[in-house]
This record gives sequence, C-alpha cells and structure tokens, in this order.
Amino acid sequence: MASSTPVLDINDLHAGIDDTPILRGINLTIPSGEIHAIMGRNGSGKTTTANIIMGHPDFEISKGTVELDGNDVLEMEPWERARAGVFLSFQYPQAVPGLQVGNFLRKSVAAIRGEDAAKGPEFRSKLKQAMNELDIDRSFLARYVNDGFSGGEKKRFEILQLMLLEPKLSILDETDSGLDIDGIRTVAKGINAAVRNSDSGALIITHYSRILEHIQPDKVHVLIKGRIVKSGGPELALELEDRGYDWLENDPEQSA
Amino acid sequence: MGEIMDSASLYKSLEEPDRADHLWRYTPWRRVHPTGDLTDIPDASAPKVGLTCLDENVALVGISIEEGGVGGEILTESDKVTASFIKAVARDSAFTLRVEKNFIASSPIILDIDTGDSDCALHLTLDIGRNCEFELITQISGSAPWTGFLRTGRVGNGSILNDVVIGHTDCGTLLRVDSVSIGRDAQVKTGTVSSGSDNTKSDLRYKMADTGGHLNVLGSVLSAHEMHLDHHIEIHHDAPETFSRLNWHSACGGNSRTVGTGMLRVSKGARGADAGQLFHNLLLSDKAKADSIPELEVSEHDVVGCGHGTANGPVDEEQMFYLESRGFDTEEAKDALIAAFLNTTLVEMGSETLHHWLAEHLQDELDDLKS
Repeated sequence: MASSTPVLDINDLHAGIDDTPILRGINLTIPSGEIHAIMGRNGSGKTTTANIIMGHPDFEISKGTVELDGNDVLEMEPWERARAGVFLSFQYPQAVPGLQVGNFLRKSVAAIRGEDAAKGPEFRSKLKQAMNELDIDRSFLARYVNDGFSGGEKKRFEILQLMLLEPKLSILDETDSGLDIDGIRTVAKGINAAVRNSDSGALIITHYSRILEHIQPDKVHVLIKGRIVKSGGPELALELEDRGYDWLENDPEQSA
Repeated sequence: MGEIMDSASLYKSLEEPDRADHLWRYTPWRRVHPTGDLTDIPDASAPKVGLTCLDENVALVGISIEEGGVGGEILTESDKVTASFIKAVARDSAFTLRVEKNFIASSPIILDIDTGDSDCALHLTLDIGRNCEFELITQISGSAPWTGFLRTGRVGNGSILNDVVIGHTDCGTLLRVDSVSIGRDAQVKTGTVSSGSDNTKSDLRYKMADTGGHLNVLGSVLSAHEMHLDHHIEIHHDAPETFSRLNWHSACGGNSRTVGTGMLRVSKGARGADAGQLFHNLLLSDKAKADSIPELEVSEHDVVGCGHGTANGPVDEEQMFYLESRGFDTEEAKDALIAAFLNTTLVEMGSETLHHWLAEHLQDELDDLKS
C-alpha cells in the first residue's frame, strides 16, 4: 500500500554530456501509487532523464539529487539501481545476438528478485501468463535478445521484463511508439495493475497523448530545454495535442 | 613402412618455412615444433582413443574406430611441413574412423582423445561412406606438453556431417592439421571450439572437388592469460556449384593473442561457386591482441559470390548497460556477452542437442579461466 516516502524524488538535477548541458534543474516527485508522464519535443531531455535515473555512464551530473524510496541512487551502479527497483523500458532496446531470451530472463529475474523467484513452477506459470497477456509466442524464448525483433516485438519484450521483474519504479521511454493499439492497451493494463494501489510508481515518457488515454496519469509534466516548464493533470496532455509546445516555449515561466 | 619413411623423408627434405608465408606469419614453425630442433622427428606416445555415443542407450553399429590408417592421403593443397611431420611422428598411432554407408545416428557420437602427460601424436583417417547422417564431437584433452593431431580422409557423397573438434588440453602445444575432402552433394559443418593449450597452431584445409558440396567452417575461440591460438583455414572450391562459409569468432583476454587467417580459393571451372568468410574478434583487455587476415583467390568469373570481412572491437558499452539495467553486475554482464559472442557460432555447429552440450562445455571453460 501507498507509503509517505515518494518512490522517486528528483531535486534540482543538472546534467549533460561532454560539457554540453542537457538537464537544467529538473524537479520531479512521484508519490507511491502514482503514474506520471513527461511530454516534450525531441531533444528536450526526456530520454536523458530516463537514462540518468538508470545510471547511463555517458552522462555527468553537475548538481542535484535523485532518490528512490528515500535512497540516493546517483552513487549506485546501474545494476544496483536495477536491484533496488528501477526499471527502464528502453526507447531502442539493445540486441544481444547469442544470448537466448529464456536464459536472459531467468538470470535477470534471479539477479533482481532472487534465485528462488527464477525457477520452479511459479516462475514458469508467471512467465506463461505474462507471455499470453502480451501475445508473445513460446518460440520467443529460444530467440536471441532483441535480435531481429520487429519494433513492436521489442516493446512487448520490454514490457514482459517489466511484468516479471516487478520494479518499484517503472520508466517507459517511448514504449508506445512501435506498438499498435492493442499493444498500447496491453501495456496500459500492465502498468495500471503494477502501480495502482501499490507502493510503486511509474514515469511515462511519450510524444503522444494516445497511451495516456489508457493509463490516465496522475500528473503530466512538460519538458522544454531541460526544464519542467508546466505540470498539470491528464487534461494537459490533451491541451498539448491541440496547441503543441510553442505557447509554453514562448512563456517558459509558466510552471505549475 | 614405405609410406612412413616417405613422410619422415619428405619432412627432412623440406626447408624451414618462411615467415613471409601467409601460414607462418604469426607463429613460426620453430615455436610449435616439439623440441625446437627442426631436424628432429621425436618419439611420441599414442593417445587413448575412445568412441561413445552421447546417448548411452544408442549402440554403435556401423561406426567404429580401428587401428591403422588405410588411404587417407594428405591433400596436395595441404602444407607439407606440418602434415608430413605429424604423420611421421604418429607412425605408431594411426587410426581410422570407419563409418559405413547410410549410417544414421540420432545422438552425437563422441570421439575422446586423451593425450596423457607426455608428447603425443595421432593420425586419424576419416572414412565416411556415402549418405551418412551424424554428428561427431572430437574432444582433445590431457596435459601433454606437445600434441600433434592430423586428420585426413573424405566425407562420402551425399553425407550430412556436423563435425566439432574441441581443443581443451590443460597446457602445452597443440598442432592440428585437417586435410579433408568433401564428397559430391555432401553437407558438412565443421566447428572448432578452442579454449585450452598454451599454444595452438591449426592448419585446416578442405577441398571440394565434387559438384554440390556444401561446407560451413565455424570457430568459437576463447583465449586468456598468455595463450597464443593461431588458426589458418583454407577452403578450395575445385568443382561447380560448391558452397562454403567461414565464420570465426575469437574472444581474447589477458595477455593472449589469437590469429585467424583464411584463404578461399576458387579454381577455374568452379562455376556457380559461392564462398564467404568473416572473422570477428572480441577484445577483452588492453593487452590482448587479435589478428585476422581473410584472403581470396578467385580464378573463375562465373561465381555466385565471393566475399570476406573482419571486425575487431571491445565489449559493446551499450550492451553492457542494457544487461546491467536488468540486474547483471558488471562481471556477470561481461561474461554473458562473451558467452553470447561465442554462442553465435557455436549454435551453428549442429543440432539442439549438440548445441546444448557445447554451451555447457563453454560455460565450464569460462568458469575455469576465471578461477
């Protein structure tokens, strides 16, 4: 059940790559049980925010804090963050030829949820159920991770991992692009089931309001040039759909 | 006896190989000769040789290992120095793997070669009849300071053979020569899994002198510590409508060095030949070295295609991040990527059963190298 410590608390985060600033003071709090969305144009810093929370080594943090359940994650390695409960559904998941999906899933579940969770009938049943829900064929397990997958298959595979890993914080980076409407519904159902009335949270990064119609985020944040310039309820996504981003870019002081 | 004398005499009549030669560029003959005195043809013991089936319930009928080598001449395309030397040293250690025509096995056949702990040599003749279908795993193990292994012979017309040779001797030098012809319409996969020995020099040559032969040569090579693993592969397309692919993956760590040199020769008259070779090297440390040189000699204009390529690189940082984001710690992620890299060629070597067996073997070898 929901606790008072936020799942994610980002405070005045400044970060960049090779001396080029990208994030210029992000503040974002996701209480447990809530789903938030970040919207913004290409290059506004959405994917950078996701990568920094996950611990991508290319980015340098110059200022600010990122806390998961009250614990500083910036000092943690990416795998420590994963084990602490951060999950990133990548915009472009990496292919790993030679690594079979079945083995990868077992190792990943064992690393994050413990050896016992990765074996036995309970694991197999959970895997089967998740694959059925996502309409993923059993033959998938013998394929190599993301190797030769279509865009939609890659996204479904990311969500399959999310369902098996049961993270504290799910970050979905453009998971809706490449998915058809049925796929979006399935993802939305999975996210709602994982987060609502629980002590976990989710951050959805998207260009489009379509996925938000199915998920109904508690808050929508607009990111422009590395800053959150406006936050609001789900209706903000619809407004952005109608008006675009120019009106916010011209008036960057409008923050909620 | 005349034949044995001929091999010894032939070897003694040869000059020391020139390092300008493609075959000897990285590993001079002196380095892999058992004593270093190049005129010497030393005594070597015979290894223990055993033939079993992975499925113990399968009776070995139609396949046998017999003492003595009948036929199995060395191809004229083979290097005379190495082939005649091993044949001479293995004068008391010649065997024939005899496979009757139409032999079919549903489970891989295992040929165990235990070198023991003293210098050891073996000349194995492959006498594989027509229309056979089976998988053969040849395991070379032991702790001999020097091991010579020569394979000659022929894969019969229409046969389907998945052939894997695993070199995992504990130490020492392994000198390996294949001099094998592929029959008409035969389909052969020949894989090398190399993760043992301090020094390996392999010279693997395959001749497709009959129409319709189909050959895949695959390598999964893992080197560490101070290892030096050098593999030279030659494929000769001497008949029309022959197909070959060479796909060689080497992962090298520590202070080790791997070398892969390839030569595809398409003779005049080999119309419709289709040949390609690719070397991939994964560098696991700053001190590891990997050299690959693919070469082509094409004398026929009417070919489907002849290509070659090589790629070297360290472990991919984005793949590392992806696995770490899924809870693999840094070492687990790196190990998984090495295993995956070698697995892409391993999986091509044969059936699911064979692959499963090989993948377990590879994991053991990876664990051993870390211990």
